Amino acid sequence: MDALIKTYMLQGMHGLVYGMLVFLVASGFTLVFGMMNVLNIAHAAFYMLGAYIGYTISNHLNNFWLSLLIGPLTVGTIGVIIERFFLRRAHKLGHLAEFLLTYGLFFILCQLVIINWGSIPHPVPTPILLAENISLFGISYPLYRLFIIVFSFLVFLGMALILIRTRIGMIIRAAVSDPDMIGALGTNVQTLFMVVFGGGAALAGLAGVIAAPFLNAYPSMGLEMLMDCFVIVIIGGLGSLLGAFVASLMIGELHSFGILWIPRFAMVFQYLLMVIVLIVRPTGLFGEKE
Amino acid sequence: MKKILTLKNVFKDFSGLTVLSGITMEIFDGERHAIIGPNGAGKSTLFNIISGLYKPSKGNIYFLDKNITGWPINKITRLGLSRSFQIVNIFPRMTVFENVRNAVVSRFNRCFNFITLLNRDVEIKRESDRVIDLLALNDVRNVPASSLSYGGQRKLELALALALDPVLIMLDEPTAGLNTEETRNAMQLIRRLTEGKTLIIIEHDMEVVFNLADRITVLNHGKSLATGTPNEIQENQEVNEAYLRRIKSAA
Amino acid sequence: MSHRRTLQLVLIVTLVVLLLLLPKIFPTIYINLFIEIFIFALFAVSFNLLFGYCGLLPFGHAAFFGVGAYTAGIIFNRLHDIPLPMTLLMAALSGFLTGIFVGIFCVRLRGAYFALISLAFQMFLFTLAWKWRAVTKGDDGMGIFRPELHLPILGNISMMEISNLYYFTLVVVALGIFTCYLFLKTPLGNSALCMRENDFRASFLGYNIFLTKLIIFSVSALLAALAGALFVLFEEFVVTSSIDINMSMTVLVMSIIGGTSNFLGPILGATFYIVFQNWISSITHQWWLIMGILFIVVILYLEGGLISLFQMERFRFWVGRRVK
Repeated sequence: MDALIKTYMLQGMHGLVYGMLVFLVASGFTLVFGMMNVLNIAHAAFYMLGAYIGYTISNHLNNFWLSLLIGPLTVGTIGVIIERFFLRRAHKLGHLAEFLLTYGLFFILCQLVIINWGSIPHPVPTPILLAENISLFGISYPLYRLFIIVFSFLVFLGMALILIRTRIGMIIRAAVSDPDMIGALGTNVQTLFMVVFGGGAALAGLAGVIAAPFLNAYPSMGLEMLMDCFVIVIIGGLGSLLGAFVASLMIGELHSFGILWIPRFAMVFQYLLMVIVLIVRPTGLFGEKE
Repeated sequence: MKKILTLKNVFKDFSGLTVLSGITMEIFDGERHAIIGPNGAGKSTLFNIISGLYKPSKGNIYFLDKNITGWPINKITRLGLSRSFQIVNIFPRMTVFENVRNAVVSRFNRCFNFITLLNRDVEIKRESDRVIDLLALNDVRNVPASSLSYGGQRKLELALALALDPVLIMLDEPTAGLNTEETRNAMQLIRRLTEGKTLIIIEHDMEVVFNLADRITVLNHGKSLATGTPNEIQENQEVNEAYLRRIKSAA
Repeated sequence: MSHRRTLQLVLIVTLVVLLLLLPKIFPTIYINLFIEIFIFALFAVSFNLLFGYCGLLPFGHAAFFGVGAYTAGIIFNRLHDIPLPMTLLMAALSGFLTGIFVGIFCVRLRGAYFALISLAFQMFLFTLAWKWRAVTKGDDGMGIFRPELHLPILGNISMMEISNLYYFTLVVVALGIFTCYLFLKTPLGNSALCMRENDFRASFLGYNIFLTKLIIFSVSALLAALAGALFVLFEEFVVTSSIDINMSMTVLVMSIIGGTSNFLGPILGATFYIVFQNWISSITHQWWLIMGILFIVVILYLEGGLISLFQMERFRFWVGRRVK
């Protein structure tokens, strides 16, 4: 196959890998905003925590698959605790207080990570089962990355199924499109919030666990993911899952090809895009018109 | 007689739902014009379109011989049009005095003045106090607006609209939620304070309407059913069937 | 004179005297500390102009701090003949113009959208500062030499002498803050307040929301840029940390902790933050964590910020009326 095409395909794959990872994080982020009207900055910290938990478990117990279970559970629990004891209190003080609180929590979580694990990046070993390369279109491609894509996609399908097919999914969708009316549906709003928030956190934690062998566990991964999440929810529309999906893939490919074509200014495009979207259509490509 | 406000064939759609269709009306200088109709008839939407919050999907609006269709809200206000809101819309954390003063500053065109100190402006202070006096809000002058009673807040709402000294003043259900005595007082206040101005008022209270208005327009399902003097409207068949009988039976 | 007035006057005079005598009494390390406090007090006041008084929360306010810093840095570095006050003026002007340009796009948005577009612009400028090495030397940064201040009667004053720098910074910051204070007492300042309290209603009173917010935005950017220029003068160095997200968040945390519903709040916040940072970081490495916890405590339990501690009923006469 032509070398150029091969390169493009490789880059495209890279972009897909990162895009799917980012989507796992951004989906929870955008849902929480759509439903609770809170831009949960701490969400990116959940991702980071997942990665570090993955690192710890891999390091001590040498079992990646266990961390796939423990990571999301732990992070999800932390998410629930945060919602119940911090967010709920701030909710009475207004959106601004909630927003600033999530920032404070993000900051603290980042500091705790540095205190506990240090500031140097920790490489996480790829699970032995997936540590090989396979031949993809005549190129040797790491199996683990394919795993990321497939696994993330399965999770996405699972989410979609839950949202479309189950009762709780319907309630969540209704809550996102019309937050004021959920009380009228007879559900316990407090519990719903807690569940969705915790679920989103678990998802972000899961993404972190999966990302760790690929990207390592390092302290600024939270901040980087946060920036990406911001860009994605603005482009995709706050509250829109489909928008988050499309925008995540866009950002993934932008990262990948940006680094290939304009390495020095790749980041600039991301922010430029964000600004353009905010100016032209602040509610995003898929968001509801205010 | 001079026409203050003219609407020509105004339509308004919201995502496929037609809220106003073919509204044509003329408001004359010094007139007191009431707009009545059942809930959902489009009355508030009409106000929102005239005052510039929405742009009509079709049609034109002329105010003081200028085509104000699509003008921004503040530009229309500066031309001499002022409105109040059905749901009290004031500056809750500011005192009554500061609320009124906000309107007065705008009236004297000093919104962008950064040279003088606002507290030292004698003219603005005097005028603000005059409006407060006019609406008998003196004893709550320095109270935060959110602490006022409902009736007080309604008066403040009225004060804000009046403090602009407009040519045309539009009041959206100014007596909503007031008891009978408060409503009568409000009516007298409105009649007194709108002397020499043109008034459009949305109202549900028929007593207010028939006592205050020179002419009435009846709106139903976004269309104008009839326009005329109170007597003409009372005798109008269509209006009676659609609206007044409902009101009378509900009373 | 009323009791309250007398007390306030005594307080102010004491403060002024203390500030003026500080370099004579305290060792250099404290002088440095106070210079830093002055700079960030100005920065925080500019932040609060936007947030506390206009209701717009910027996540990327460091953009203007950085623009002022780099403008001053480049002038100090390359154009040695330009007098110090002129450099500061140009830095402030560059902030103002950037503010107008960025503001045109930002000011129509509100809430989270405004915060994020402000962040996007700041990240954009950060990336520019980082990658445009030819002009900014990227993350290596530019060292500068502090120029002398040429005054008509007093002659040439060297800014290398720390107490000179102290008084210079004090004067500039005091002027900046006082101007801002007076500005807020004008009708335009009141218009800004209307934007925060109910901009919807204000437009129906004839206020031009866009223009009002744009002017406030630009003035806020001007003051932030001035603070940035002073920062470079002090640090003798300008690098990307002047325009990065940490700087944006620092001024945000300072202002919130100090209290945004009162003009003095951010000044108190900046003072507290810098003093606390210096004190705690000598005890423990975890000073960031402690500051984060304090931030959360303030948000959850002390809604008006630290300054509201001085505004409890019986202390009501100590500080000016609470806007909130």
